Amino acid sequence: MSLWHLAWRRLLRDPVGIASAALVLAFIALAAASAAGWVARDWADEAGVSYAPPRFFGTVVEDQAAEVAKALPQEDYGIQDPIGPELAEIRKSLTELSQDEAKQGSLLFGADKWGRDVLKKAIKGTETSLIVGFAAAALATLLGTLFGAFAGFYGRWVDDFFNWLYSVFTSIPYLLLVLAVAAVLGQKGVLTVILILGLTGWTGIFRLVRAEYLKHRVREYVLAADAVGASAGRRMFAHILPNVSHVVLVQLSLHVVLFIKSEVILSFLGFGVGVDTVSWGSMLAEAPSELILGMWWQIAAATAAMALAVTAFSLFTDALRDALDPRLQ
Amino acid sequence: MSSYLTRRLWQFFPTLLGVILLVFFLFNWVGGDPAYLLAGKIASAEQIENIRRSLGVDQPYWVQLGIFLKQVATADFGVSWSTNERVSQIFATRLGPSLTVLLPLLFLSTVISLAAAMLVAYYRGSLTDRAIMIGCTVGQSVSILVYILVLQYWLAYRLGWFPVQGWGGTLGENLLAYAALPILVGVIVSLAPDIRLYRSVFLDEIDQDYVRTARAKGLGEGRVMWLHVLRNAAIPITTNVMTQVPGLLAGAFLIERFFSIPGIGREVILAVERSDFPVIKAVTVYVAIATMVVNLLADLTYRALDPRVQLK
Amino acid sequence: MRLLVLILAITFTAAHGADPSKILRITFQAAETGFDPVKVSDYYSGTVIEAIFDPLLTYDYLARPARLVPNTATDLPQISDQGRTYRVSVKPGIHFADDPVFKGKKRELTALDYAYSIGRFLDPKNRSPYAFMFEGIAAIETPERHTLVIRLKQPDLNFSHVLAFSLSGAVAREAIEHYGDESAAKPVGSGAFRLKSYRRSSKIVLEANPGYREVMRDGARLPRIGGVEISIMEETQSRWLAFQRGDTDIEYQLSEVAPTFITAEGQLKPEFARRGIKLERSVDPEITYLYFNMQDKTVGGFSKEKIALRRAIAMAYKVEDQIRIIRKGQSIRAHYPIPPGVAGHDPQYRSSIAHDPRAANALLDKFGYRKGADGYRQLPDGGALVIRYSSTPSERDRQFDELMKRSLDSIGVRLEIHKDRFPELIKLENQCRLMMRGAAWIADYPDGDNFMQLLYGPNTGQSNNACYRSPEYDKRYQRSRLLPDGPERNELYREMARIMETDTVWLLTDSRYRNVLMQPRVKGYTKHPVLHAEWLYIDLE
Repeated sequence: MSLWHLAWRRLLRDPVGIASAALVLAFIALAAASAAGWVARDWADEAGVSYAPPRFFGTVVEDQAAEVAKALPQEDYGIQDPIGPELAEIRKSLTELSQDEAKQGSLLFGADKWGRDVLKKAIKGTETSLIVGFAAAALATLLGTLFGAFAGFYGRWVDDFFNWLYSVFTSIPYLLLVLAVAAVLGQKGVLTVILILGLTGWTGIFRLVRAEYLKHRVREYVLAADAVGASAGRRMFAHILPNVSHVVLVQLSLHVVLFIKSEVILSFLGFGVGVDTVSWGSMLAEAPSELILGMWWQIAAATAAMALAVTAFSLFTDALRDALDPRLQ
Repeated sequence: MSSYLTRRLWQFFPTLLGVILLVFFLFNWVGGDPAYLLAGKIASAEQIENIRRSLGVDQPYWVQLGIFLKQVATADFGVSWSTNERVSQIFATRLGPSLTVLLPLLFLSTVISLAAAMLVAYYRGSLTDRAIMIGCTVGQSVSILVYILVLQYWLAYRLGWFPVQGWGGTLGENLLAYAALPILVGVIVSLAPDIRLYRSVFLDEIDQDYVRTARAKGLGEGRVMWLHVLRNAAIPITTNVMTQVPGLLAGAFLIERFFSIPGIGREVILAVERSDFPVIKAVTVYVAIATMVVNLLADLTYRALDPRVQLK
Repeated sequence: MRLLVLILAITFTAAHGADPSKILRITFQAAETGFDPVKVSDYYSGTVIEAIFDPLLTYDYLARPARLVPNTATDLPQISDQGRTYRVSVKPGIHFADDPVFKGKKRELTALDYAYSIGRFLDPKNRSPYAFMFEGIAAIETPERHTLVIRLKQPDLNFSHVLAFSLSGAVAREAIEHYGDESAAKPVGSGAFRLKSYRRSSKIVLEANPGYREVMRDGARLPRIGGVEISIMEETQSRWLAFQRGDTDIEYQLSEVAPTFITAEGQLKPEFARRGIKLERSVDPEITYLYFNMQDKTVGGFSKEKIALRRAIAMAYKVEDQIRIIRKGQSIRAHYPIPPGVAGHDPQYRSSIAHDPRAANALLDKFGYRKGADGYRQLPDGGALVIRYSSTPSERDRQFDELMKRSLDSIGVRLEIHKDRFPELIKLENQCRLMMRGAAWIADYPDGDNFMQLLYGPNTGQSNNACYRSPEYDKRYQRSRLLPDGPERNELYREMARIMETDTVWLLTDSRYRNVLMQPRVKGYTKHPVLHAEWLYIDLE
């Protein structure tokens, strides 16, 4: 039986693994539903008043947005308004007062400063944070695997070169590297965050994959493939890669968790996602002052969602590792 | 041995060159122009030019790179652009507070997590093991930002066990009063990942042949764990602990900011905000050198702890 | 007996002034950069400099609006030659604080020191950020040891404010030359305090200068406190908890969490008042505003359709939400380019631009900014309409980004947020290459000219960040420069404000409250609109 088949059988026997896998799938489904616009599409709407408390908490807050008197000054100090006539015409036609929609004094899970539903924000944040986590991890894994494969397989100067690159990247303080890359890339939202994390986070994967390739390239099955004339690329990616892919998979999964957490720090430093979306990090970055004001619901929602997802993901990674590498059981 | 050392030391140079080039490219070329920050609220074009000239940022890139290389070679990075403080002075004064927090933090978290990891490795597969591991996973999933906010509020402010923030003049005062809570926060944050890591290291060792042999010889499980497993697991553990130091130096900025500790991490953030290139350059180069030295030391420790490892 | 002790205690403090046991503990929310007057531009360094160095003039501590009074000068300057010549005498017998650089001798403060100190701002070698304040100086003369004569290039009736500016204090040439690069960390002045110990960007400790000249107030010699201990604390939570625990005496940098201690009416909440904590609330002499780059292709220009676009954006911007939600109610709407507390401010003036998204939509419809298939408006010629709003990567600016997004959504205008670091934004701004940005200006001195110059055409590329050039405005500005503060100048200022509004160059947003919290032991504190370091006047129990 193949490694994968065996691993699958082992995974099925692990109740924590099953439960966490189910939870991870549920989060992915939620993120997908949010991306498709089935849930939390209206997350940006001002559903409640500013900082409306959670409903189970009891209190209801009055809408404080008092209607300002629209009386305009009559005095013009002798200065003509170039578009004055047009504006006067418009003001005459807009006599009846507009009726603002009433905003809710409390929401099921509370509202943020703009009156946006915290629950919907957390759902939308799940989508963004998972996309950031997965895409950045995929990018880092791709880079790490490619570099590691080349370095380990070819050895000599290729290895030297990638090792050099590795030591350069790991020698620079991570914080400075991230800030520098962020400054270079500018800020264009989710994609930038993914690039920052992915371009700086490949080193750990590189080291492991390189070690695996060093081990495998002298194994009999690879030498045999060489003997029958398989090209270098074929040996690297068709023969060796499947045999080291369990290492890659576990690393991918580990990095998803790592990057979801890193995004929080990026947001705190102001390099988070753009203003038209929301992530767990951007929710937590609002937390410091809100917590003192007693508005705990946003930090609670973001922390809870993040803790649940990250725990499920970590436990799933553990189960995956155990299943793929039975020696550790 | 000495040829190994020579070779490793030689390898420092290309790496350092790479670091220098990367930092230079990232910060000098694409990064901000500090002249506009230093010029103040109202600045004329001549004044901007004057500042650029006196900082040397109007020079061609290769000249600036040359200056950078010379600074690295002479270990003299001049003065900070925003405060005129000597960069060496910045290092001398900020390193102490950083280490006052980091070293006890590393020591405590290593000792505690080793003990805990040993325990769960000993009872592997049991309910205790599972409970602790799941607890660690949950603990690990909460952002450090939340830990700092909540612990500062509860332990320092509500319960009054620690000062809310601050930094004193003497080492004793700092260690016992001001650094205590920051260290505690650091330990709590690093405990979970460390326990998980060390557990897997121990389990790795437990399955080795020599352990089976020891067991077969009738040695008690406790003795096996303490003597054989810990001894052999020492290598990856040492590596893990040592390699954490340089990264933490700049990476503990959140703790330093919230607890007002005058350390390196806070200085780095400040330097980036102010486009203070001399400070950025110095921090990067020094931390890079520290990282390389530590990595070398870790490899040498390998050998000291396990003679089977051959250094070529 | 007890009475006698009390009387003795009073006479004791009165005679000796500073009580070394009274240490005022305060915080800065951002790191200082140093204490050499010509090298700094940040508020925090300026505050410490004000305590260490002595300018010729200062402001009366209690008079409102701020009133100039002599400090080390014997009298206010004699202004002659229609405001081109300023002559001022320095009081004899004032000495610099003792310092090793004076080799144990008493060093007297003279007019030469002021000539040197002011001259340093004009020396390009020092590249001073505040050189602009001294640009009008043609010559500095010292006909006598204690007499200073300053000749200006243009008549300027407000130059006295420059002599009271906190960075205009006297430095000693020997100290500056001796300490060189280190002068930022070794300030030697003649002010009420001197630097005792200094841990950069962490802790600044000042002590009362024992040789400070005799300045009396209410029968006591100033300063009454023995020293000031300043801690740098970047995080609001840390500052708030430290104040609540009694670790600090005065704290004002808490606007983000103000609703915890201030009621909606602006009063201190009873639970704090019961503990004896005091609140002093005042409006800072500042304005914040959104500006449009008048040279920009999309939003700039003086054609009616461009004015309509800018006006619509200004009418869509939710200033109320900025005040209520972002500022947590801790600011007032700004109607006039000159804030309260500054000469020339007009409390009666009302902005002609009010929040009215319905009218803004109708205005855009009228001028042909039609909505495209995506629901966003296009330019009248069918081109893409995207407003590019610039801000720095920080949590605070993110809130403004969000407000801008919500405001522009209400009129169907597409927004793009341009993020860059602060120095880069300033660089692009000076080159007139930004489209729109939020800005703030706090008074350097309490005169309206400091604000009205922000829109003067020739200041484009410097302080005129909107790159606004209007002949009508500039004509009036030039005339205002020749007038002293008074009704005639105010008349011009009102017209200029309205010209700016009808062209819709800026949308004035707000001026922030300064909420100063004090522990019960702090006595005699009043926030001064211009002075930063009120430590000279306060007392501690």
